[in-house]
Amino acid sequence: MAGPIHIALTFDDGFWAPAYATMRSVALSTERPGDIVFHLLHKRLSAAHRAVLDDIPAEFPGIRLADHPIDTDPHFAAVKAGFVFKYRRLNDMVLARLIFDRLLPPEVTRLIYLDCDVMVRSPIEQLWEADLGGRSVGGVIDPNRQKVMLGTAFRAKADIFDFHQAYINGGVLLIDLRRWAAADLPGRTEQFRRDGLIDRLYYDQDIINLVFKDDITPLDWRWNLTNATRAHEALEPHIVHYTGDLKPWGLIPGAAFFSNYRHVMTQEKYYAYLRFRWARNLRRLVARLRPRRPETAA
Amino acid sequence: MPADTRLHIALTFDDRFWGPAYATMRSIALATRRRKDLVFHLVHWHLAPENRAELEAIASEFGATLLDYRLEDNAELSALLTRLPHPKELPPIVYARLYLDRYLPADISRFLFIDCDVYVRVPIENLFAVELRGRPLAAAPEPGRQHLMLGDDMKGVGKPFASYDRYFNAGVMLIDRAAWRAADLPGVLDDHLESGLILKLYQDQDILNLKFRDDWLELDPRWNLTKPHPALRSLDPWIIHYTTGMKPWNSLAFVAFGSSYKHVMTRAVLTRYRRYRRRLWLQRLMGRKP
Repeated sequence: MAGPIHIALTFDDGFWAPAYATMRSVALSTERPGDIVFHLLHKRLSAAHRAVLDDIPAEFPGIRLADHPIDTDPHFAAVKAGFVFKYRRLNDMVLARLIFDRLLPPEVTRLIYLDCDVMVRSPIEQLWEADLGGRSVGGVIDPNRQKVMLGTAFRAKADIFDFHQAYINGGVLLIDLRRWAAADLPGRTEQFRRDGLIDRLYYDQDIINLVFKDDITPLDWRWNLTNATRAHEALEPHIVHYTGDLKPWGLIPGAAFFSNYRHVMTQEKYYAYLRFRWARNLRRLVARLRPRRPETAA
Repeated sequence: MPADTRLHIALTFDDRFWGPAYATMRSIALATRRRKDLVFHLVHWHLAPENRAELEAIASEFGATLLDYRLEDNAELSALLTRLPHPKELPPIVYARLYLDRYLPADISRFLFIDCDVYVRVPIENLFAVELRGRPLAAAPEPGRQHLMLGDDMKGVGKPFASYDRYFNAGVMLIDRAAWRAADLPGVLDDHLESGLILKLYQDQDILNLKFRDDWLELDPRWNLTKPHPALRSLDPWIIHYTTGMKPWNSLAFVAFGSSYKHVMTRAVLTRYRRYRRRLWLQRLMGRKP
């Protein structure tokens, strides 16, 4: 399948370094750097951190980065304005994923979406060329699906999902973007609200699995190995997805390819990101501890 | 003349690995249905006679054939091995793999090379049945390949690998003899010595991956399951390869099938091997051994 390979990432400033590592892992593994186009859907990304991402095309000539800042995107603003309810799991990044078709250029008809906590170890073109079998979305069946689908006692969400449904993890997706657009995910989400389901849905992952219920192609599990620990390294996963508490950018080892990931992120950026998080957490702590001004009577 | 249907398996080791070599052979012999067809080609270096005698139990218990190739009898190769770069934990004997064609009998058309820190759990004839499809060898991918090929920060360390190259672990290889001979691996080693590239390479594994780049058949990882975390037991792997510092012959080993391995080695051999290692450690401490 010749031509560009479109890959989308959605992230805010807090994930600048994992986004860099995810992109670099793709770049290291591909044999077609000249075809890779990263679509960066970001929010409040600082200029300094955006500049860091330019190291990718500098190191891997041919790779292109296309920016889609959702802060200033009129399509995003219009869709967001149409959502009259507040729901913490329907944040801006989730909303952006639901409208890939409106935020990306019209020539993008097929798309790989990657979470920013993944590390790619095999040529991404192999995933790009996977056969969707005429369906809208390809993904890997989520090992934790029963709990996510059915909730507490496997009963709380039994009216929403069927126990036997093929339920995929939303962190790595191969998307037919025309069919994605036709599915009208914002409209369906609004319908879920009217039906009283929205508060019980798990981010966009539940929405995607509900909307594309019988329209999903399961992919080889190695394309999205979730909860990956060191025990899984020998299984030759194509994409490692750090869904558990052990993140490879943390200080506690245990995640799969913990050491390798650091070299993919590069030592320099690993420590820069560590300092960035410490400073951010310190600011949050100070803000929390700061005494509040007593309310004065009117 | 009928085709040779025996199962030719080559191991290269020095005296320090006599115990694991025994366990590897015994694991193969225990799992196969064709014990009498097993021919172990033992390419060894300075193997003490009393330790060689221990290995004879493989022949007496299972009826397998053991053939010896003493590297120290070849002055030229012996001298070469001593000057090849190698880390402390990997003796230069590993380079002997590259010379197998010079040692093995001429009538062998296909053979299996296997490291001495592996534990075979299924009939090895199943691996011999793999069709090579015109490739020189079959091997399993190496999970840590990118760091091995590219070094720190994956920036490259002067090795002529591309970041996307496939890369196999050389601990278990099914080999086509004619292709192995045609590759002229001793000549390749000479070239790397002359150019100085050898100093940057990860021993013979890098050499083999460069020579057979993209010309090898990829085996199911269960044929060479490296970094065997105990959680991997449930996958019922076919060959376990104890690649990390945790070796199953040590007292503390958090590895898959660590307990079974001790019974494969047998407690008697394990006791003698541990005693041997303690003695070796003491000799090193006293400066009597390098």
